[in-house]
Amino acid sequence: MNLDRYERKVLGVLAQYEGAVLVEDVTKKLQIDQATVMRACLSLQEKNLAKIEGKEIGYVKLSEEGRKYAQKGLPERRLLKALVQASGKPLPEIFSLASLDPDEQQIALAWIRRRGWAEFRKKDGETVLEITQKGKDELEGKTPEEELIESVREKALELDSVRLDLRDALQTLQRRGLLEILTKKKRWVELSGQGRELAKKGLEEIEEITELTREDLITGRWRKARLKKYDVTAPGPAIYPAKIHPQRRVIEELREILLEMGFTEIKSRIVETEFWNFDALFQAQDHPAREIHDSLSVKKPKEGKLPSNRLLRRVAQAHEKGVVGSTGWGYKFNPAISKRLVLCSQTTAATVRFLASKPEPPVKVFCIDRVYRHEHIDYKHLAEFYQCEGIVMDKGLTLRDMLGYLKLIVNKLGLEKIRFRPGYFPYTEPSVEAEVYFPEKNEWIEVLGAGMFRPELLRPLGIKYPVLAWGIGFSRLAMIKLGISDIRDLYSCDLEWIRQQR
Amino acid sequence: MPTVNTTYEEISRLLKKEIPKPELVERLALLGIESEESEEGLKLEVPHNRPDLLSVEGIVRALKGVLGIKTGLPQYPLRKPKIEVVVDPSTSTVRPHIACGVIRDVKLDEETVASLMQVQEKLHATYCRKRKKASIGVYDLDTLQPPITYTTVDPEGIKFVPLEYTQALTPAEILRQHPKGVEYAHLLEGLSRYPVLIDSKGTVLSLPPIVNSEDTKVSANTKALFIDVTGLDRRVVESALKVLMTSLAERGFVLEGVRIKQRKKTRVTPQLKPVRKALAVKNTNQMLGLTLNARQIAQLAKKMRYGIARVTDTHVDLLVPPYRVDILHEVDLIEDIAIAYGYDKLEPTIPPVCTIGSAAEIEKMSTKIRLTMIGLGFTELMTYSLISTKKAQLFNKEVVEIANPVSEEYSAVRNSLIPSLLDAVFKNQQYPTPQKLFEIGDIVVFDEADETKTRTVRCVAGAIVGKSATFTNVRSVAEAVLRELGIPFQTVAANPEGFIEGRCVSFIHEQEVVGKAGEIHPEMLELYRIENPVAVFELVLGTI
Repeated sequence: MNLDRYERKVLGVLAQYEGAVLVEDVTKKLQIDQATVMRACLSLQEKNLAKIEGKEIGYVKLSEEGRKYAQKGLPERRLLKALVQASGKPLPEIFSLASLDPDEQQIALAWIRRRGWAEFRKKDGETVLEITQKGKDELEGKTPEEELIESVREKALELDSVRLDLRDALQTLQRRGLLEILTKKKRWVELSGQGRELAKKGLEEIEEITELTREDLITGRWRKARLKKYDVTAPGPAIYPAKIHPQRRVIEELREILLEMGFTEIKSRIVETEFWNFDALFQAQDHPAREIHDSLSVKKPKEGKLPSNRLLRRVAQAHEKGVVGSTGWGYKFNPAISKRLVLCSQTTAATVRFLASKPEPPVKVFCIDRVYRHEHIDYKHLAEFYQCEGIVMDKGLTLRDMLGYLKLIVNKLGLEKIRFRPGYFPYTEPSVEAEVYFPEKNEWIEVLGAGMFRPELLRPLGIKYPVLAWGIGFSRLAMIKLGISDIRDLYSCDLEWIRQQR
Repeated sequence: MPTVNTTYEEISRLLKKEIPKPELVERLALLGIESEESEEGLKLEVPHNRPDLLSVEGIVRALKGVLGIKTGLPQYPLRKPKIEVVVDPSTSTVRPHIACGVIRDVKLDEETVASLMQVQEKLHATYCRKRKKASIGVYDLDTLQPPITYTTVDPEGIKFVPLEYTQALTPAEILRQHPKGVEYAHLLEGLSRYPVLIDSKGTVLSLPPIVNSEDTKVSANTKALFIDVTGLDRRVVESALKVLMTSLAERGFVLEGVRIKQRKKTRVTPQLKPVRKALAVKNTNQMLGLTLNARQIAQLAKKMRYGIARVTDTHVDLLVPPYRVDILHEVDLIEDIAIAYGYDKLEPTIPPVCTIGSAAEIEKMSTKIRLTMIGLGFTELMTYSLISTKKAQLFNKEVVEIANPVSEEYSAVRNSLIPSLLDAVFKNQQYPTPQKLFEIGDIVVFDEADETKTRTVRCVAGAIVGKSATFTNVRSVAEAVLRELGIPFQTVAANPEGFIEGRCVSFIHEQEVVGKAGEIHPEMLELYRIENPVAVFELVLGTI
């Protein structure tokens, strides 16, 4: 027979008693928590070493009102005492002396008369309450009710232990709502014959260890003990790890792919001048994307600063009259518009800032950042969302090379099929849109846009080499990867949802 | 993207050939036109830069080329002008540009009228920028008595019956009462005189860019159309007329010029002569990665409806159709060659561009701190950086404000991660505590020295919610992060908005405050309706 530490302790205590022992008593004796003791008792019972018996026990306890009277005395007792002191005085005065509130007054009057301690008499045409002889006799005594209240005042009393002569009082008080009777389960545990035998034989048998302790290890006790076998198939409690946000995971996956492909990461800023956000991208100053219904303009701070005169002039010229054989947009460029501040509406602003630093080829850079639009937020629109875009600059790059990069990125994302369509972006020509086949959706979905930067964009920045530029529809891709249909979930902060995402 | 509504049947009729539907859809896609089928028919999405594709006729014209039904330059013979438009100098400060044309032998069946209305509406909405840059009027020529005068009038100076009305109104009344007047009144705002077109009998044709007159309305019996385009942008005015007239010519109608007398000069509109542009064989091949010769390029160009003026070994001189108003540069021609070649036939290639990639320093640091926070048992959140100005100012009055917010809720750019972190705490109130949350994100602060007068700053912030939300716990986390970053710091007692006094510390590194940690004040928790104690920290990781 193998017993663990607690089972042995409980067995030891039980052996000191003849009969059944209250579980609480064992707990007190061992100074360990009741749940552990109970578990040990159950375990002993399972091994036929002990027997547990339970019984519903009734308890008598004062109600709230009862507790009040236990302190102040019963209303009828207080009235009786006041009557002695203020015999013959008007009732209200007596009540006040007995400090009885209106509710108590009624109770006091009813009970003092029922007990025959006082009665109403006519005296000089007025009704007065007069103490009786019985009342005088009772003045120093205690009624059974009062005795009972006294005895349960400190702590609840077991129903069975109420004195026989107080049983009627118990009923009365219960009716008066001053006492309550409640039941509680009590457990006794008693050693079986086998248990007593084992205890007598001594507990030389091998100890069983539940939780391995440092003590067990350094004393070498574990050598003599046996490590208890658990029911390892029983369900365990669920715990959840702290997590990286699901949208972040998609961002990190893309970053990793692009870094592997030799792209260098650049960052975009949140507030940008219209010069960098639009002008330098050859987007005409009256382009619809620049209207208040499309981009978010900044009110405070009021305006930004212009770039160098030289750059501003060259960009203005590209817009007005064109550069390198272009006709331009043919309107009057306004630097006051260039100074205006907007929330960055395309990460291309960061790319163009980078190109303005005149990097030498070969160059590959990418940017994953948030951009901002004038959109009402609903299940398919966000006012701020991530864009992922990049460029490749080198001598002799072609449109076919652009398609090659798009294909490579898509393949790295674990997708096989891609097809290309002509596209339109204001600052690339030729432009291309790539549709990717998603087997889980059985659908071709447009997730990439790309093209070669227009000469009107490159020349003012002083770039003489072809530049391939591409962008990934990040939100669309992330939604497919995460299996969500409401775009707002990309920013969900619901802990339960984050917990469920894998 | 702008859309054009049509039907498969209409396209087949105009093509004079039936192409199986799936093939047609694929052909359109390879022209950059996406189609979506619905109960009403086909909805075609066309590129922003191609107003000539805003009509079914224009789309069919392009299709004919790539299908080989009709290639090369479309011919638009223009009859000598018979009608004259006299331009009053007063228009020059109001709506200075005008171009007109006449179309004869028209047969306006239901389909043609619908198509005409659609192209006019789509041009207005997109290319003409909601009538701001240009607006188009189409009239029954036979109701008019030429010559026609383009002039200005006093807002109360004339009366005519606007379209869909029975009662004559002054221009000012039209702007107040007529639905189109109300919609476009802003385009005439602040002007003391309004532009009008009037014929020699005094019949008003229209009040551009608002509304035409009922008297000159086009009907099913109309035999000839008079068209005007007026506007603020000369290029758009002329181009819109060309696009509209050449599109109608595709239905077999006859085009006729109009003589415009302006400042003693006379010119004829529309100008439908193709523009000649040279395309270098070398540039084409270099850009596309192909090895086409001049003859092949010329063949492809014809499929895109270009005319060929001359072919040499090195160059192809193209005649650009008058409706192709999107051609700015040789690259635009090269893209058309690629489209004619077929994007589906372009074989992807990977060039040997050898570069070594590297992550941005701020992202490397963010990744490190993200893992640190996860290690400390904090779950990552991502919240919007657009927040309510009011909420941002609870903690810090200095905040970047948006001029045209969609709502107050998103009217500022956050200057701290803490307000949105507290929002997330409120939203997660239903779940058991303790909770540990963090975010790594960007905020914006003012910086007079920067080009944008602001700086984008990367921060990390964390919140502990529930019983363990104590100052000691949160400052330990903040200090662990600083330690991981290798930033030596000093601590100073701080008393910022929103925190309990005496339970907030600032971290100082090289005389600069790099962050704070503390317990959120119950008053603030009440504002956020948060029922658990919350302790937060925020640290600056660097400037973007």
